Amino acid sequence: MAARAGLSVPYRWRLRLWALAFVLPTVAFFLVFKYGPMLWAFQLAFTSYDMLSAPRIVGIENFASLSRDPIFRQALGNTCVYIAGSTTLLVVVALALAMALNTRVRGARLCMSAMFLTNIMPIIAVCLVWRFLLHPHGLVNQLLGPFGFGRIDWLTSEQLAMPAIIGVTVWRFAPYFMVVFLAALLNIPAEYYEAAAMDGAGGVTRFLRITLPLLAPVMFFVVLVSALLCARIFLMPFLITGGGPGGATRVLSMLIYETGFSYMKMGRAAAISVVLFAIMLAFTLVQMRLFAASEED
Amino acid sequence: MSGRSRRFLTAGWLGLVPLAALTFLVTLPIIWMATTSFQAGEKMFQLTTEWIPSVWHPENYPNALARAAFPIYFLNSAVISVGVTLGNLVFCTLAGYALAKLRFPGDRVVLILILSTLMLPLEVTLVPTFLIVHKFHWLNSYQGLVGPLLIDAFGVFLMRQFILKIPTDYIEAARIDGAGEFRILWQVVLPQCRPALAVLTIFAFRDSWDQFLWPLAIVSRDEWRTYPLGLVRFGEDYGNPPTEQMAIAVLATIPVFVVFLVLQRALRRGFGLSGLKG
Repeated sequence: MAARAGLSVPYRWRLRLWALAFVLPTVAFFLVFKYGPMLWAFQLAFTSYDMLSAPRIVGIENFASLSRDPIFRQALGNTCVYIAGSTTLLVVVALALAMALNTRVRGARLCMSAMFLTNIMPIIAVCLVWRFLLHPHGLVNQLLGPFGFGRIDWLTSEQLAMPAIIGVTVWRFAPYFMVVFLAALLNIPAEYYEAAAMDGAGGVTRFLRITLPLLAPVMFFVVLVSALLCARIFLMPFLITGGGPGGATRVLSMLIYETGFSYMKMGRAAAISVVLFAIMLAFTLVQMRLFAASEED
Repeated sequence: MSGRSRRFLTAGWLGLVPLAALTFLVTLPIIWMATTSFQAGEKMFQLTTEWIPSVWHPENYPNALARAAFPIYFLNSAVISVGVTLGNLVFCTLAGYALAKLRFPGDRVVLILILSTLMLPLEVTLVPTFLIVHKFHWLNSYQGLVGPLLIDAFGVFLMRQFILKIPTDYIEAARIDGAGEFRILWQVVLPQCRPALAVLTIFAFRDSWDQFLWPLAIVSRDEWRTYPLGLVRFGEDYGNPPTEQMAIAVLATIPVFVVFLVLQRALRRGFGLSGLKG
């Protein structure tokens, strides 16, 4: 601040102009490709539009018919189950992996990098590989066989298809959150654990009393990021199960695509987009709150 | 940094065994993909997986590439990924620097405006974004494929958080020495941002190389297909052996792994330091 006072007034104005010039392309981009489309979606949601004739205003008809539509209700429910299931498992698995890696053992870093590969290989390859692995004759059943499991139809059973997709999601994303947790674990001062050990605290007590409370902010961040990530999932159910069997894995993003591009009902698709947006808005508002709080320290 | 994890005994190589076993289990699907791509087509659905092919079939690769216009699909994907990655590097750095170190009226509002777009991914705005690109006459074109992906709010946020940690004194000193803002950015700020730039590069590259939904929505002509679209169609045609599909999947995986390996050292620091603080 002291140095800034030394700058002359015209110079300060020049800096502001530079700042605007640096920020302007990004702001313009987001106005055209994010806010513009969202406003348009809100408008389209109240119309019927097939791209051939002009949009026709239908009021809340799209929303009213969606609320009666069992397919939409199922997709909304699937999305919620998927978000809740994936996020819970992701937190547990990622934290467990991070704690397993948090050692001085030689080669731990190499193991971390190797596991991270599941997070960067193309998601299309992930989907194709797992479609084969989850086949009744596939590797998953072969590995489970010795433990007394029979031939399980992972992808064609209405009860198991969603858990299978959630499993693939965890395999794909847990290593990312593992790295986030690991960075946080490394920031916990070793003295805390040493002092606790001297007081005779066992491993479980140390985990519950030191690790978990100190990890709480990071865990909250992980939950929110994971929820936003899962809310928009498309390719995994689209490719692995095609939304089936019987719509058991059809999520909202798939319904938007089908409604808009297979049935050309742009207005109805926009109405579903508004619902998905509302879900993401709820998570984002919580995140903004947290961010604002962290900026104040 | 030193001594922070000395709470665990240095177990040497012995402690590595369970960790290595865990890593092996986690990476098993990747190993499966690699060996299957050299397998004979009819071996795919045997009751037990043959991990090491009894006969290797490297010809799966040229055969797969020849079955569709995969070289063109890969070229399209490469152009898109390089474009999107460069766009993110340039624009996220500029905006991140301005939001971190240059005060200007309305900077809070701009920051919130940018961060809020995290809740507007393409999956949500698909229909109107398609209609806009349609109005621009950008369907089946590189502009259309790259355009809506060019800047991601995550990148702006990442760069801002990272640049915030660079001492303002360095920047002020350079300014008093008469350096312009571009020179400050290039010579003072960027050299200290390598870890953040590495994180930004790997995610921007991965997400654009991976992109499926957007090309699916706007591409209708074969010469504009990206490799994910080609790969899905490849699987839908009967008579195409899945082993050859795995060969294409392996080829698609290599570029991302190479980028990851090249950036690994900087990435490790990037993940640790940026801490992705909530």
